Amino acid sequence: MEPLTLAGLVGLSTVIMLFSGISVAAGLLVVATGFLLIFDGARSLISLPDLFFAELNSFALLSIPMFIIMGAAIASTRAGADLYEALERWLTRVPGGLVISNLGACALFAAMSGSSPATCAAIGKMGIPEMRKRGYPDGVAAGSIAAGGTLGILIPPSVTMIVYGIATEVSIGRLFLAGVFPGIMLVVLFMAWSIWSTWRSGNAQVLSASSYTWREKVEILPRVLPFLAIILGVLYAMYGGIATPSETAAVGALLCIVIAMVIYRLWSPSALWVVLRDSTRESVMILFIIAAAGVFSYMLSSLFITQAIAEWIGTLDVNRWVLMGAVNVFLLIAGFFLPPVAVILMAAPILLPIITAAGFDPIWFAVILTINMEIGLISPPVGLNLYVINGIAPDISLKTILLGSLPYVLCMVLGIVILCIFPGIATWLPEAVMGPAR
Amino acid sequence: VELRLSHQFATGDVRHQIAQMIADDVAAAGVDLEIQIFPNQSLFKAREQYTPLSRGQLDMTVLPLSYAGGQQPAYNLTLMPGLVKNLDHGDRLSHSPFMDKLSEIMAQDDVMVLVHGYLAGGFGSNKGCITKPEDVQGISIRAAGKSFEEMLAGAGASISSMASSEIYPALQTGVLDATNTSSESFVSFRLYEQLKCYTPAGDTALWFMYQPLLINKSTFEGLTPEQQTALTEASAKAEAFYLEEGKKGDEIARQTFADAGVEIAEMTSEDFDAWLALAKETAFPIFVQETPGGQELLDMALSVE
Amino acid sequence: MSDPAPVDTPLPVRAMNAVSTVCGVIAALMILSSVLITCQMIFVRLILNRSTIWQTEAVIYLMIGATLIGLPYVQKLRGHVGVDLLPSLLPPGPRRVLALFVLVLTIAMAGAMVWYGFDTFHLAWSRNWKSETVWAFPLWIPYGAVPLGFALYFLQLSMDLWMTVSGRDNPLAASMAHEAELEERVG
Ligand code: NA
Ligand code: NA
Repeated sequence: MEPLTLAGLVGLSTVIMLFSGISVAAGLLVVATGFLLIFDGARSLISLPDLFFAELNSFALLSIPMFIIMGAAIASTRAGADLYEALERWLTRVPGGLVISNLGACALFAAMSGSSPATCAAIGKMGIPEMRKRGYPDGVAAGSIAAGGTLGILIPPSVTMIVYGIATEVSIGRLFLAGVFPGIMLVVLFMAWSIWSTWRSGNAQVLSASSYTWREKVEILPRVLPFLAIILGVLYAMYGGIATPSETAAVGALLCIVIAMVIYRLWSPSALWVVLRDSTRESVMILFIIAAAGVFSYMLSSLFITQAIAEWIGTLDVNRWVLMGAVNVFLLIAGFFLPPVAVILMAAPILLPIITAAGFDPIWFAVILTINMEIGLISPPVGLNLYVINGIAPDISLKTILLGSLPYVLCMVLGIVILCIFPGIATWLPEAVMGPAR
Repeated sequence: VELRLSHQFATGDVRHQIAQMIADDVAAAGVDLEIQIFPNQSLFKAREQYTPLSRGQLDMTVLPLSYAGGQQPAYNLTLMPGLVKNLDHGDRLSHSPFMDKLSEIMAQDDVMVLVHGYLAGGFGSNKGCITKPEDVQGISIRAAGKSFEEMLAGAGASISSMASSEIYPALQTGVLDATNTSSESFVSFRLYEQLKCYTPAGDTALWFMYQPLLINKSTFEGLTPEQQTALTEASAKAEAFYLEEGKKGDEIARQTFADAGVEIAEMTSEDFDAWLALAKETAFPIFVQETPGGQELLDMALSVE
Repeated sequence: MSDPAPVDTPLPVRAMNAVSTVCGVIAALMILSSVLITCQMIFVRLILNRSTIWQTEAVIYLMIGATLIGLPYVQKLRGHVGVDLLPSLLPPGPRRVLALFVLVLTIAMAGAMVWYGFDTFHLAWSRNWKSETVWAFPLWIPYGAVPLGFALYFLQLSMDLWMTVSGRDNPLAASMAHEAELEERVG
């Protein structure tokens, strides 16, 4: 069979398989095993466990469980609420101060945690009830947190950026830096929409701020210091060349556990177990997908499918922006159904040669890809953040959460357009800090 | 018949070129034999090629043999400090009773050599220049093989093990401060973009690694006599080319790094002696102790003039 | 887990659930030790300025081990994400058929990984393979995690299959709600 026909067959089988509801990792392994069995013979199965093992045999992957622990440890404490409260007390004079402090807290928490659900849960638990109590529309309250939570994978550290960096051999440090300004840009867009829609909804009076005394403003500060210290420490270790992302993440994870125990009195073994259990669950899930995707890509290479697709793309002659548009639509659709890590693992190695051949910067593309994945996190049917919000505020209907999130999705699309016009927003910082890219 | 050859190197590398030469020659011989090359570890990861080769999952590979030293400790002798003096000496080692002994060991794993070849290499570092043992104190370094690692650990370095194809990202992310690899890899993996100082293989070179083109023995024996002849003839031609290119490679590497603005350091013969003395205290005795018949193998290798 | 087991849960299923929970604890401890070992490595290298030989390799093996040993536990928690759009649209009958199909395929895949994984493990054991490093760690230990982890996963899946066949559970049902509930406990 022609490799391209085979490619179509593999694509179709994978889609059907994943829609059956099988777990992503098992689905990838089943498709890979099936195609190897049929087109390469039973002998080829001998290598499967070795390939699975080899895929995980990498020190760089260690940063994934480490950053997940960082997020889970801090999310299990009051740190998120403190952070949000501190911002709220200091932003009293700003109209819409509450929603701004919520989104600001999401952005700061995202700078700690590599994962979006952790960000969403940590800020939303406090922020959503508070916003509703003060008269913000339910849609804005739920939507701003769902969207703000997605910043966890754009603002460094980011588990999905690590996966992209490993899959494409792009510097993880550069990728992290590239996410900073686009992340801030999205926060600003989110804030602008939140304030405008609250004002328009006729609840404009809620935008006027409450007031706090200076005493109240100052006394909250010590509670957010450890938090900021970790962010700065992690940044310093990573960009000061002291340690690798994996090592930095391990130190960060240990510090977060210690801070949770010492400052937030998270002493009880059962509370600590919850942190460990949730980190383990998320890490195992992601690492299983990574290993399965490795076996899947061996199948693609072994049946000469990857090579045939790359050759075929080389023969295409389309405008680079048409190509970029098509890639974005593809990523959006994939993001509707698949978790970010799975999309990146399957798409990045095939898309990256196309993207670079069309003259796009791989670091810039990582940011575009990540924003697409953020949209996926708040779009049905598989939108992790939607379900986190649903868990935090069960009395807000899923429909309200969805409708409330939609404008933020449009903000992200706008963000992608802005990044296409001004790529420097993503590429400037990594070049300024780490020198010009190759 | 289609054979699959996997390796970890870029397509501009001499180790890809010898594979390509053989593929072209056997195709031209018209003996119904085709070799499909998967470069850049696009099929198997660099360090994961020996097992599938030995089990017949993979037909051919170009592989630093010491990567499989964990399975056959004798292979550690193919990357031993101070054992090879220059590439011509390496060529004589490749056709000596020592290599016959190694071939017997490879045959136990159903593996045989088509193309012999050593490549020389040097040191590259981000933290000062490495010429003598004191220079690696406290730095994180990759050395490609256990024996070198033992010697470097003896000098106080931190050891990270990885394939040569992983060095670039490791230097970039700071996993590594320094590395030890072949001149060809220094160039083909563009390590000059990441390194501040380079110590090339000069008149005194410490680092020689045996990197043959291997084939699964049963696969080879299953070929028709015509196919076998085409393969061995093409391999003999490739081996001569490999030796000549290897000699050019050291000079090319020195020039490429100098052009890229990387500082070039030289190893003196006193430095070399210091390394060798260290190796005799660290790597040599560990090898002899861990390898069945290790002393005999070491003596056989040392006796080659 | 806090959810009380229904009265009619057969003993083998309850036993396997307990085994999976133990696996989860082991996996969590492996991840925790890789945090500590990595920190120890940085301390030795940066503060004591001494050679680090075994740490990098050890944390990699711990991470691989945690992933494999953690498989049955995460399966028990329904934590392996999938696309449950179609299952959530189906009525209970067809959804059960779909669940059986998914479980049988996953079990077959896990079985293949156990079978061939044991092969590699056995080679590494009988030929005494070591990692190609100064540490020279015996490879049968990490290689053994592949058949062991997949065997435990296989058993947990078989119990899920049993519960699905007997109509007492459906792993494809309402996994999103489950997901949300679990995520909420993060917070
Ligand atoms: Na983050
Ligand atoms: Na989605």
